[in-house]
Amino acid sequence: MTNTAQQLDTTPLVDTGYYAAVTEAIRAEAARLLTDGTVAAVIGYQAGKRKGTAMPAIITDPARANDLIFSPACVNNLALYLTKAKKDIRKTGKVAIVAKGCDMRALAGLMGESQLKREDVHIIAVACAGVKGSGAATGEPLTTANIAKKCRECTVREPKGADSVAGSLPSLPELSPVEAEELARLEAMTPRERWSFWKEHFSRCVRCLACRSICPFCYCEQCMCDRNRPQAVETSPRPAGNMAWHIVRAMHLSGRCAGCAECERACPMDIPLNLLNRKMAKELKELYGHEAGLEPKEKGPLAEYREDDDQSFIK
Amino acid sequence: MPKTITEQNLRLLVDTLLKEGARVVAPKQAGTMALYEPLKSGDELALGALPRRSAKETFFPLCETILTFEKDKGGVRVNDVDPASFPETVLLCARPCDAAAPSILDAVFSWDYNDEFYLERRRKTTIIGLACTTADDACFCTAVGLSPADTRGSDLFLTPLEGGGYAAQAVTDKGKELLEKRAQFFSDAGSAKPLPPAEPAGESLDLEKIKSWLDNNFENPLWTEIADRCAGCGACAFLCPACHCFDIVDEGTEAKGARRKSWDACGFAKFTNHASGHNPRDMQNKRYRNRIMHKFKYYGDKFGQTLCTGCGRCIRACPVGIDIKAVLDEINSK
Ligand code: SF4
Ligand code: SF4
Ligand code: SF4
Ligand code: SF4
Ligand code: SF4
Repeated sequence: MTNTAQQLDTTPLVDTGYYAAVTEAIRAEAARLLTDGTVAAVIGYQAGKRKGTAMPAIITDPARANDLIFSPACVNNLALYLTKAKKDIRKTGKVAIVAKGCDMRALAGLMGESQLKREDVHIIAVACAGVKGSGAATGEPLTTANIAKKCRECTVREPKGADSVAGSLPSLPELSPVEAEELARLEAMTPRERWSFWKEHFSRCVRCLACRSICPFCYCEQCMCDRNRPQAVETSPRPAGNMAWHIVRAMHLSGRCAGCAECERACPMDIPLNLLNRKMAKELKELYGHEAGLEPKEKGPLAEYREDDDQSFIK
Repeated sequence: MPKTITEQNLRLLVDTLLKEGARVVAPKQAGTMALYEPLKSGDELALGALPRRSAKETFFPLCETILTFEKDKGGVRVNDVDPASFPETVLLCARPCDAAAPSILDAVFSWDYNDEFYLERRRKTTIIGLACTTADDACFCTAVGLSPADTRGSDLFLTPLEGGGYAAQAVTDKGKELLEKRAQFFSDAGSAKPLPPAEPAGESLDLEKIKSWLDNNFENPLWTEIADRCAGCGACAFLCPACHCFDIVDEGTEAKGARRKSWDACGFAKFTNHASGHNPRDMQNKRYRNRIMHKFKYYGDKFGQTLCTGCGRCIRACPVGIDIKAVLDEINSK
């Protein structure tokens, strides 16, 4: 890399005024909603102990509204906290949630799957310049070099259909779509090459299932991958079970995955799971004209059966 | 007489050990990260990065077969795995927070039951520790009584020197033996000064005070406050050098299969699920509480030790930003 390129890469993408404005708007809205009793809790972000870090926050007291923040470290998809998987969080009554555009797609998906009623959530959307990708150091600003891959080609920066929107979007430079390029590279491979690409990645999988725990769409109370009588998928971290787990995961989420890339971010073994999600999403768009999470839909194409479905592929 | 070893000789030492049939486990680049993995040659040794997973898998593999079974006419044949077949191993360049962990885990693996799989690997392993000269803001070994230059658990300990190479200090008889047997790779110490150790920033913790708070606060709103956000993903436990829970499953078919032992984690929703369907840790706050209690109270009650070496891996990996040091600071300040 040349010096100029390095300089470009470390120039902040947006100035701090943007984050201050988003933070201010979130705090004001949270305080208002909790004070007038519109909601019982607000799910947002608060600063972590280490400089430049952030983490989910669930606040019920308006006095704590000022703990809420928005920064390039606010990576989480908070929709997770509205699912059955986190039923210890979901209070009775209405809850407000801070949501970036990609998180709103998850909310729409959950509504479509009857996991959530629109009238039970108050959505504080964020006009979103992007968040930092994994590997970015804590404390450094958001730059063209460290922005999350999903944000490089985001189409939902200005969310629609929220109850309020925090901040306004500054103009952003055009970013090269590294994930789309990687996907194209994979698609150009022979099946054998692709198989070995994934085999190698999956060989590192430790089966912690962080990818499952963090995904808002993995809310089943009984995952088939935990069953041992009968056992469909080997639970031990070995090649056969790992491959089976990832195929089950990809199939189960296709047409449903909101593209938040949380699974990939949570994976402690850096397995590029979002490439699989994107591939499935692309197939579903091409084959069925279906895109997940743009609006609440009851069933994705793979979850629906019709008498007149094409069955010619069943031999 | 103090000894030193050059980086080149360290790599040659690896090659020699490998040639003699030993297993050498050391930091190695694996894709985007470094991992402690068996080396094929000294060149593979990655001396810079902190490996993503801890070194515990040298003794306690991610997954291991403990027996195989096969059905035939006479009934079921069971074949045990013989721990005597495990190779001699050198764990090389283990960070102090990794090298200290097995010496803590020995207690639990030889308590009411001797886990020969773990213990035999321990007996056959020599640990060569490596002092840290850099730390990040998640490291807190000094807060739990260790340090970037702590030799606990190491048989031989390396300290980087100004201008390259390492000072080599024998800590145990095993280490001394290695130094003597491989004298050709070591030279007498010259005048090179050791590089200053890293300085983890975390304030120190009063572990006694924390334990006594835990003694009295099994029920406390703190658990809910912290753990409501926990996703129960288990990444913290899987990367931790001291977490040691495992699950045993039979896999294969009725006719032929294996019994395997692999890592488990108290953060998982099904971890304590009983066959009856009852789950005593039915909510994430109870599960997160167990994580802290196990590390800073139960293990102390039972074995007089703390089950955390301050490596910071759980802090770096937690997808929801739960910071165990921040939790401990909060308890410490109560
Ligand atoms: S994908 Fe879009 S909405 Fe989501 S964090 Fe990135 S820029 Fe924001
Ligand atoms: S998070 Fe990563 S390592 Fe864990 S089960 Fe999923 S893919 Fe495997
Ligand atoms: S599969 Fe991954 S990217 Fe898709 S919704 Fe789940 S966590 Fe998000
Ligand atoms: S609890 Fe966290 S900091 Fe402590 S040893 Fe385990 S991974 Fe390291
Ligand atoms: S890594 Fe974080 S979210 Fe995952 S189980 Fe541990 S504390 Fe919970």
